[in-house]
Amino acid sequence: MRDVITIVIPSHPRYLSVIRAVTDRVGQIYEIDEKVVQDVRLAVDEACSNVIKHAYRGDTSQKIILKYSFRPDMLKIVIEDSGLKTQKKSLKGRDLDDIRPGGLGIHFIKRVFDVFEMDDKKKKGNRLMLVKHFCCPDIANISTKSV
Amino acid sequence: MKIEIVENSGKKIIGITGDIDMYSSPALRDELMGLIKKKALALCVDLRSVTYIDSSGIATFVEGLKCMKAYGGRLQFCEVPHGILEIFRFSKLDRVFEVYGTIDDAINS
Repeated sequence: MRDVITIVIPSHPRYLSVIRAVTDRVGQIYEIDEKVVQDVRLAVDEACSNVIKHAYRGDTSQKIILKYSFRPDMLKIVIEDSGLKTQKKSLKGRDLDDIRPGGLGIHFIKRVFDVFEMDDKKKKGNRLMLVKHFCCPDIANISTKSV
Repeated sequence: MKIEIVENSGKKIIGITGDIDMYSSPALRDELMGLIKKKALALCVDLRSVTYIDSSGIATFVEGLKCMKAYGGRLQFCEVPHGILEIFRFSKLDRVFEVYGTIDDAINS
């Protein structure tokens, strides 16, 4: 991984649109398939929404750090906060057959990312690592997962 | 996000423009639940100009649907962009949401 794109945003929902715009642009720069970028954009948005809701409990004065790195066979996005520790059991979405409001965000993250892990080494706050693998070197523009 | 509510053949059409996310979905919820509190019998959400929707937006619609079903109302969707339809399918909401191609299809249903 040579280049890492880092952005820091306040933990206010109004800035989620900035994250989506940056994610789109990263996808364009690395010529990632548009459908994959759309799914990644939703997943990253959901992950940051979770940070605001759960790690910061709605405190809009905190920071969220996102780091994007790319190589032809993978896209890695790391999302860090300094809020409350996320419980592993909360990293599971609701049963999709149980139709009720909420509980979909985790599913949207897992449907596109192959790796969805909290870094246990981080002492204060959370470090979520998301990795999307591409099945061969020059095919970032071919989706490896479909809905 | 902008919300415009118009009446067409006795049915309220909720036209939404822009992104529905954690920031904008509370405003959408206020509008939707305001109509539902008045026991609107049928509401049609026109999604043609929606450029993005996240789980908070979907949760708003699921909540609206549940509330309307409780009194026999109908929440319909029309002109749903392909990407949003895919999200509905992935979430298995296409089984419970009434989705129509056009406003006329929804009105005549």
